[in-house]
Amino acid sequence: MASNAAVPFWRSAGMTYITYSNICANLVRNCLKEPFKSEALAREKVHFSVAKWVDGKPQKPRGGGGVRGL
Amino acid sequence: MAMITLRRQGGRLASLISPSSVNGAALLRGSSLVSEYDSLLISIVLTWFDELELDPKGARFVSTQVVRNRMKSVKNIQKITKAMKMVAASKLRAVQQRTENSRGLWQPFTALLGDNPSTDVKKNVIVTISSDKGLCGGINSTSVKMSKALYKLNSGPEKEAKYVVLGEKAKAQFVRDSKKAIEISITELQKYPLNYTQVSVLADDILKNVEYDALRIVFNKFQSVVQFIPTVATVLSPEVVEREAEAGGKLGDLDSYEIEGGETKGEILQNLAEFQFSCTMFNGVLENACSELGARMSAMDSSSRNAGDMLDRLTLTYNRTRQASITTELIEIISGASALTG
Repeated sequence: MASNAAVPFWRSAGMTYITYSNICANLVRNCLKEPFKSEALAREKVHFSVAKWVDGKPQKPRGGGGVRGL
Repeated sequence: MAMITLRRQGGRLASLISPSSVNGAALLRGSSLVSEYDSLLISIVLTWFDELELDPKGARFVSTQVVRNRMKSVKNIQKITKAMKMVAASKLRAVQQRTENSRGLWQPFTALLGDNPSTDVKKNVIVTISSDKGLCGGINSTSVKMSKALYKLNSGPEKEAKYVVLGEKAKAQFVRDSKKAIEISITELQKYPLNYTQVSVLADDILKNVEYDALRIVFNKFQSVVQFIPTVATVLSPEVVEREAEAGGKLGDLDSYEIEGGETKGEILQNLAEFQFSCTMFNGVLENACSELGARMSAMDSSSRNAGDMLDRLTLTYNRTRQASITTELIEIISGASALTG
């Protein structure tokens, strides 16, 4: 149960509202019954590649996604 | 190698140069006067003769082979473009539905915070959304042009602008003249069907890696299959929202809202700004994907039509040449026959 008093805690853990809400959404998805559960989990695939640029040159790209391992 | 050719064809050459009964081949073979260089030259000449002989016997008309090959390739290209059009059309239907549904995500934010494209801030981040694949008309160029215009508007002595580029195509265009201003580039977004989780993780990644006062998201808003409107959505940072709210104007109404719970206004605004960004991004990415498919559909439609036109023209030329040669042959036969009888 997300409480209103939790905000400073996840904020100080370096999380943004987006990460927080994603974790919550994932929890809810995990509460579904089969077969809806695996359907919902399979739908939310995270894949992209990010490259940071320094002085007009792309650095090594990396796969994005912080909540993929949840 | 050259000598072998020479020997093989020597006889013919000899009869060409000297019609007398002298055995030219033996002469050439035995002679030490023929240097390596000369024999090379001779072999070139011989191959040339060979090629002359390769022409079909009695061919007096232009070969239609080239035109036939061309027709075949045009037909194949037409098949490909038609297939691409079909694929885009079937994908479009699903994406369009999702796009129209996703509009409900940003509308409440615009109702609450408004869209403030003219806000003047120090750190501007322009998020350009484009596609990874090409062959979809001009949608990528329009969003790049729009972004460059925004860049010019928002960079000056006291303010700066940076690009965050989504998609391979816009990246390629920015690298040409403004690669110094690129901060982050993101690709391979559409490997799996777009979903909110993916875009929110991406938005999170952007938020963590850039400093911003205002995020300006540029994308093509899907209007219909043939109409896409380049659009800018502005997401302000919580500090700027607060500043603007104090200054009054459109954001002045924000104070009339009551805040529940023990949070401060700053916290709420920060959460809101983050969530607004991810929702706007989600809609932007979907709108752009939808526009991409629509643009690809119409582009592929017109290119299949062009291929059809081209094929028609080629067929006409081909048939005309064929008929002309048939007519000539008939005339020859008839006139030959009439010359014999008459």
